[in-house]
This record gives sequence, C-alpha cells and structure tokens, in this order.
Amino acid sequence: MSASERLIESFARERRPLRILGASGQLGYGIPTPALEEGLRRSPDMIGCDMGSIDIGPHYLGSGEMAPTRVGAKRDLRKVLNAARRHDIPLIIGSAGSAGAKPHLDQTLSMIREIAAADGLKFKLAYVPADIPRDVVKRAVRAGKTLPMDTMPALTEQDVDEAENLVGQMGLEAFRRALETGADVVVTGRACDTGIFASIPAMLGFPLGLATHMAKIVECASLCCVPGGRDTILAVLDDEGFDLESMSSQRAATPTSVAAHSLYEQADPYDIREPAGHTDLRAVTYRALDERRTRVTGAVFVPAERQTLKLEGASRVGFRALLLAGAADPNFIAQHETIFAGVQRVVRDLVCEDTAEDYNLSFRVYGIDGVRAWSDQTAVLPREVLVMGECIAPTLERAEEVVRTTKQYLLHYGYEGRVSTAGNLAFPFTPPEVTIGAAYRFNVFHLMQVEDMAELFPVVTETF
Amino acid sequence: MQLQQIAKVIRSKNAGPCLVTFDLIFTNVADFELARQQLAHLKREVALRYGRSEENVSVIDFAPALAVKITIPRDVVSGDIGDRDVYGAQQHAPLLDIELSETGR
Repeated sequence: MSASERLIESFARERRPLRILGASGQLGYGIPTPALEEGLRRSPDMIGCDMGSIDIGPHYLGSGEMAPTRVGAKRDLRKVLNAARRHDIPLIIGSAGSAGAKPHLDQTLSMIREIAAADGLKFKLAYVPADIPRDVVKRAVRAGKTLPMDTMPALTEQDVDEAENLVGQMGLEAFRRALETGADVVVTGRACDTGIFASIPAMLGFPLGLATHMAKIVECASLCCVPGGRDTILAVLDDEGFDLESMSSQRAATPTSVAAHSLYEQADPYDIREPAGHTDLRAVTYRALDERRTRVTGAVFVPAERQTLKLEGASRVGFRALLLAGAADPNFIAQHETIFAGVQRVVRDLVCEDTAEDYNLSFRVYGIDGVRAWSDQTAVLPREVLVMGECIAPTLERAEEVVRTTKQYLLHYGYEGRVSTAGNLAFPFTPPEVTIGAAYRFNVFHLMQVEDMAELFPVVTETF
Repeated sequence: MQLQQIAKVIRSKNAGPCLVTFDLIFTNVADFELARQQLAHLKREVALRYGRSEENVSVIDFAPALAVKITIPRDVVSGDIGDRDVYGAQQHAPLLDIELSETGR
C-alpha cells in the first residue's frame, strides 16, 4: 500500500488532526537539517516543498534553466526524498525546477531517478507536466477566452508562438489526480503553491478554505515567523482551524507575524486565488497558543463559477552583454547624461556603417539612477559611481561588438572641462565587458477559461 | 511625523510581474489607526511620488497585521528591457519621508 493510500485508509478508520510539514519554500537553496529532523520527530502525515515562483523573473522560464544549482537542488531533494521514504509518508513537490516547464520538470525527475538509484529507495512517483499546448491557447485567444492579468496587453497568437516555454498553474485538482494513482511522491510542473499542501487535506475532507489558507502560509516554510526563515514548519489542521509551529526553536509563529505573511508578494491580503475558486480571509482570526505557536481559523473557500487557468510564458528579446566600470571624476559624473548620449552616437556611427541600428544600448549609473528612475535630481552628486552599460542585440556577437566599442569610446570620450585625459573609467577587472547570453521577457501572464483541467494536466507514473 | 518614524516595516516587492506592492507594518494599534485614518492622504502621496494616477494606486488596511498595503503598476514588467529591480524589493525609499498628521491621536 502506498503512503497516500495508507493515509486515506487511516482517516477512513478514524478522523484526527492532519500533520503537515512545510520543508522548504525554495527547494534547492538549502534545508536546515536540525529543523527538518525536529519536524520528522513530530510524526508528520506528509511533507510538501515548493520549488518555484514567477518572482525570480523571466530568465528561467525562457531558458529552461533552474535558479539554484543542480548540486543544491539535488542535495535538498535527497533530504526530503529520504525523509519521506524513511517515514513512509507522501512527499509533494510543486513548480519543479524553478519555473515548472518541461525542461525544469525533466531536470528534477532526472535528479530524483539518480537519488532513487543511488540510495536504493523504493516508491511510486506520479508527475504532472504543466506545459500547455500552443494550439489550445491559440484556440482560446480566437474564442476570446483569455484575459490579461494586471497591466499585460491582450494575448495574441503571436505571443503564444513566441513564448519559449508556456505553462499553466495547475491547482488542487491535478495534485489530487496524481495522489489518486497511489503515488508516494508527487512532482508537478508549474503549480499554485496551495495545491502542494491543500490537496491531501482536500482528499481527506478538511474544509477547503482552511486547507488553502494553511497551504499559502506553510509553502514558505518558517517565513511567517519572527524572525522569518527557511526552517521547516509544522501545521496541524483540524476541521475548525490550524496550528502553526516552526521546527526551529529560534522562530516564533505569532498572531501578527502569521497575519503579516498574508501581505507577502500579494496585492490583496484578504484573498487567495486558485483555478477553482478563491479563499476569503476576511473573517480570519489569529490566536496565540503559546509564545511560539499560533492558531488560525475562519478562512472560507468560495468556488468560482468558471474555472480559469493562469498562463505564464517568456519569449526571447535578444542577447545581452554588459559593460561594468567605475568613475570618480566629479565633472564626468555631473555630465554623465550628455556623455552617454555622445557615446551612443559615436558607437552607432561605427557599428551601423553597413547594418541597421538593430540593438538597444542603455546606461545606468549606480549612485544616481541604478535602482529607480527618480523623477527628481539628487542635490549632491556621489563621489563615485558604477556605470553599467547594457546592450540587447539580435545576436550575442552583435551585443558584444556594441559593448566593446562602447567601452573604448566611453573611456576616451572628450567632454567639456575634462582634466583626466588618460581615461574616464576605472575598470574593476578585465575584461570589463560581461557576456550574459539570451535575454527574455514575460510575454504571457494571462488567464484562460478552461472547461476540463484534467485534459491539460495528464498524470504520468513511474515505479522505483 | 514621517512614516519611517512610526512604521517598523516599510517594504516593497512584486505582486506578480506587473505590480509592485508596499507593506507598511506598525508596532501598535495607535500607530496603525493613525495611518488608517489617513489612507486617502497616503494614496495621494504615493500617486505623486511614483508618478501614477490615484486610480492606479490601491490602498488596503489590514488590521490583523497592523498593516497598510499599497499596490501600484510597475514601471516595466519584471525583467523586461529597462527594468531596474526584477524583484521590486528596493522601490520603497520614496515612502520613507511621507508626512502623517498627528492630529486625532
């Protein structure tokens, strides 16, 4: 009997509170062992880990690369796989490999296969790809069944074609079908964080509002505590609410710290969105059980009239190369805008003699406008600045050509009142030009009406 | 009194790739209530300081965490050409010296 079947059977015999371990909010960046071990001593019923996010930017979804290193990701996967198998409890991992598209899921599955073989682990794996077929999305575009999120423009068929990877955030439903195969371990592509932790409670009949609220908190491990951190967290869920406790004695889940977590990376602290509906947090109460534990009650799930899927896609905008250099001449710093405009002209005249101006060259001056495009001028200019020139061009060679030419002419550009005639820039290292590679942007961040989620998220099983 | 004198947290972060959200978290009910009475003023100041129209600034008070949440559209979608802060984690500085009136305290 599999870990998930055993859990369902045990609940069929006798209902009791469910013990859920949130082992990591970002699998691959390290899971502190003492807190994980403490969590395992509390007889958990399941372990969940979130592995991805859209907040890390478009590069990972576009390129198919993971955000953490493979070494880091494999070390964390080994910890949670061994822990789950040792205790024979379900392990659920969502948004595999940072962005949850096919290349990310494939890398995650290959690590799991290596660990299973090396450590002699026996289990049934169910995995769920999140890639959405382009023709399905294009049909929805034509039928007017897609809707932009926030400030995105309306989705076009061209966007769908241009996305390097195109995923949908699967919800509880997909996790549930994966668990129903009798899986011990579930790994999904891009998924709602809530699916990871609320799917087992949903199968066992716990109230959906409480389960999704609990899921939204424990998916970040001990981030909801003071001080917040990445240590494993334990949630104990019953039919009226759930209790939260960090598995690190240094961290306390207090009513205000837990409540404040509802603010994190959300536009609306009273609302958690899922494909099948939303969870209303307006009536939630947070009560201290003791100095380190808080009980949360009151979240209510409201089913949606129509199921919607959140789509994410990233397209390549070109290739990126940088120039990094310092400057300390007050005249140069004061005149930087004019100087950059002059250098941009010089560079264009040189590199566009027999080709079109096919690139974008821009400058940031750290110390002045690196972090924000301030609307007001600083009264006092900084003593030193870091100049970052950035070129995005149709090929990497072109981007490199532009930044290398820029380096030479910015170094020797003559400006009014120049006294430092040997060079305008302090290079921190050589070469001062940095080749980044392909550059991506989010070109799909839209909702799509979906009749049949199961059709889009097929479950695949594998036995070790 | 400036916001930075009474809020224990003044932070910014993406709320999805198109929005940046600010959390102002206060240490006690009195300070939170002081800010809560001035949500319209906060909205005006944020609109002014970030170059947005007021209808593009959302302000929500969140009593369970003694917090006020403010959300605006980002200048550029996260990570797109011209973005300067992919996570949006350093966009809070213009909030620090917003003046709050102490009358009604």
